[in-house]
Amino acid sequence: MLHLYGMMVRLSRFVFSRPWVGYAVALALTALITGLIAIVREGIDVANISMLYLVAVLASAVAFGTGPAIIASVAAFVASDFFFVEPIHTLTVSDPEEWVDLGLLLMTGTITGYLAAALRGRARAAQRREREAVVLYDVVRLMTSSDLRESLAAVAERLRQELALSAVVIGFHGGPAGGLFAEAGEQEALGLARASGMAPKLLLAGGVAPTPEHRGSPGRWIRVLPPHLPGQPGWAAGRLHEVPVRLGDGTVGLISLVRYPEAPPFTAADDRLLSAVGNQLAVAIERTRLREEAAEAEILRRTDELKTALLNTVSHDLRTPLSSIIASAGSLLQQDVRWTEDERRDFARAIEEEAERLNRLVGNLLDLSRIQAGSLMPQRGWYDLSALVDDVLGRLRSVTSRHQVVVSVEEELPPVFLDYILIDEVFANLIENAVKYTPPGSEIAVRAIRTNGAVRVEVEDRGPGFPPEALPRLFEPFYRVQREGQTARGTGLGLAVAKGLVEAHGGQIWAENRKTGGARLVFTLPLGEPGQAPVEAAGESE
Amino acid sequence: MKSEGEAGTVRILVVDDEPSIRKTLSTNLARHGYDVDTAETGYEALDRYSRKKHDLILLDLGLPDIDGLEVIQQVRQRASTPIIVLSVREEEHAKVAALDLGADDYLTKPFGVEELLARIRVALRHTVQQAAPSGGLLRCGDLEVDLERRRVRVAGEEVRLTPTEYELLRAFILHPGKVLTDRALLQAVWGPEYGSEAHYLHVYVARLRKKIEADPQRPRHLLTEPGVGYRLISDEA
Repeated sequence: MLHLYGMMVRLSRFVFSRPWVGYAVALALTALITGLIAIVREGIDVANISMLYLVAVLASAVAFGTGPAIIASVAAFVASDFFFVEPIHTLTVSDPEEWVDLGLLLMTGTITGYLAAALRGRARAAQRREREAVVLYDVVRLMTSSDLRESLAAVAERLRQELALSAVVIGFHGGPAGGLFAEAGEQEALGLARASGMAPKLLLAGGVAPTPEHRGSPGRWIRVLPPHLPGQPGWAAGRLHEVPVRLGDGTVGLISLVRYPEAPPFTAADDRLLSAVGNQLAVAIERTRLREEAAEAEILRRTDELKTALLNTVSHDLRTPLSSIIASAGSLLQQDVRWTEDERRDFARAIEEEAERLNRLVGNLLDLSRIQAGSLMPQRGWYDLSALVDDVLGRLRSVTSRHQVVVSVEEELPPVFLDYILIDEVFANLIENAVKYTPPGSEIAVRAIRTNGAVRVEVEDRGPGFPPEALPRLFEPFYRVQREGQTARGTGLGLAVAKGLVEAHGGQIWAENRKTGGARLVFTLPLGEPGQAPVEAAGESE
Repeated sequence: MKSEGEAGTVRILVVDDEPSIRKTLSTNLARHGYDVDTAETGYEALDRYSRKKHDLILLDLGLPDIDGLEVIQQVRQRASTPIIVLSVREEEHAKVAALDLGADDYLTKPFGVEELLARIRVALRHTVQQAAPSGGLLRCGDLEVDLERRRVRVAGEEVRLTPTEYELLRAFILHPGKVLTDRALLQAVWGPEYGSEAHYLHVYVARLRKKIEADPQRPRHLLTEPGVGYRLISDEA
């Protein structure tokens, strides 16, 4: 369809840009009508049959304007005299009445032709303006897309079709969109457009800018010849046109247009349209720049927030266990008190547990920075998941002491290819998270089952669950769930680190709320390919 | 130094959301003769306090439910029970806000237990002294202020103070051991419309030190709390 449309456009441009075509068609139409009248007159005698010539006049007026219309009426006058008025085949007229008829034919033809042509002119002007408006509107719409390169490619294609061009290239060499480049069209022509520095070309010079009192003008084409022209092929001359895209005082880009070899020059309307498109691109680029700046400012603001959050939470969470450690150690060292054995053990245990907690926090911080730097390298081996779970729960006994932890790992679960320390951390983070946000005494369920191609691990609690608005952000570093009437707690590191570690294993992690209340965190780890079976008892061979 | 304990056991409320801190502090304070009660949240603390009227509150500012500052406000509406703020918030504004709201002292986590015990003793002695102003004559170490005659003696020697210097010293001696913020001092001495003109205060503290300190470069009475304010101590603490 588009191809057909392009051909039609090209054809009409060809016809309308060569005035002699109109005159030729007008004469041909008159000849046609003459033949028709001759045939009709063979059969019946019709008075004023010569009025049929008005058809040729009107058709020429509508299609080609005043000139061809007048030529058609003059031709009709002559043909009518020559072929149908006695004496036939001479330009003399015997009956004076016939003069009146012929005179009327000429006058009617001229006036109708003139009027029809004027009407046509107005209709065509309105069409042109509408086209201009539609194309500009399209360009504006196309440029609102967030992907600038895509937008430019669409604009290039739109221009190419509208102006029936061989190729259109839009490129920016400076300004905020510097280096951006989009093209549409035929290979050979694109080559010419890309090599625009080497070929002679026409440049649309800046016209007069409009003021409130005066209309602006689109500028005019200036011929630009490269300095070393003699060596250049002549075929390119006159085909390549360039419309600069100006931003402020400088030119930031170019719209390069390559016409078909036989195409007529651009009309004034085309010039106006092209210069408007150039302006529109500049505006769009400027808008993109502003949008990017705003986005950058937003990123900076968020980075800043993140840093503040990091400093606050890390300072709080590093110092809290330290407080217990220092207070407990200080108590043990006090000279004035004689502690009982139980008290001594309590202080020592507090020191141990809080030191463990500090260690986990430092581990999470280091992991997060490794995840963000992309330098996390899992050291994987084949491990039994249920042993790993037992291991973690044993280590976290002091953390989970006030909760009921229920573990169910599917029997016959094959060994999983994982980094033991990292997945251990994932479990620890998820369990610690569940403990932190649920009331003492409630149940925490840890489950591992086999699904197709993966093992699926769930950590469920019976707490308040996640607020729906928190679900999409849970795994962001330093994000903490804020409940009404409560201050946010924790570092916001655990889930972010768990996500990074699971993903480093090719698994997925997500959070959901249980239908019956409580939160569920789920992660999957891919099971080995059928072909790469685990090496049994790998530990023994090493 | 357990003189306070003699008149009946001193009851201390420890408010902190960290179980290990609560445990360690209560074990330690109990062994030093105090009767210790603990609370995990702000509401629990207010509830316990309203029922038992403790003699001193150790309060963590970062509580899970309401802000520690709010706890101070609520307690201060009812009583002048000494409050020592325990906080990891090192930001000056949190400390200053707590002190402005009426907290007596602050300790930044992590802190040593000896330091904590010393602060508790100072805060408790301050209440005892407030309860019994001995006929308008206040003492703090070798510093003696006669509130009726507006006279000041240091180690028995009479010292002449300007009216502003005297008002400043009076503000300190009425709250021995307590950390007074710049704002509180400015308002007590210059009036309620003052609050941010800390440079006035620094000038007058320097002058006062020249008159009451043996070595103004190394003050023994009038101590600076960096970024917060000043505190008057007696050297026997």
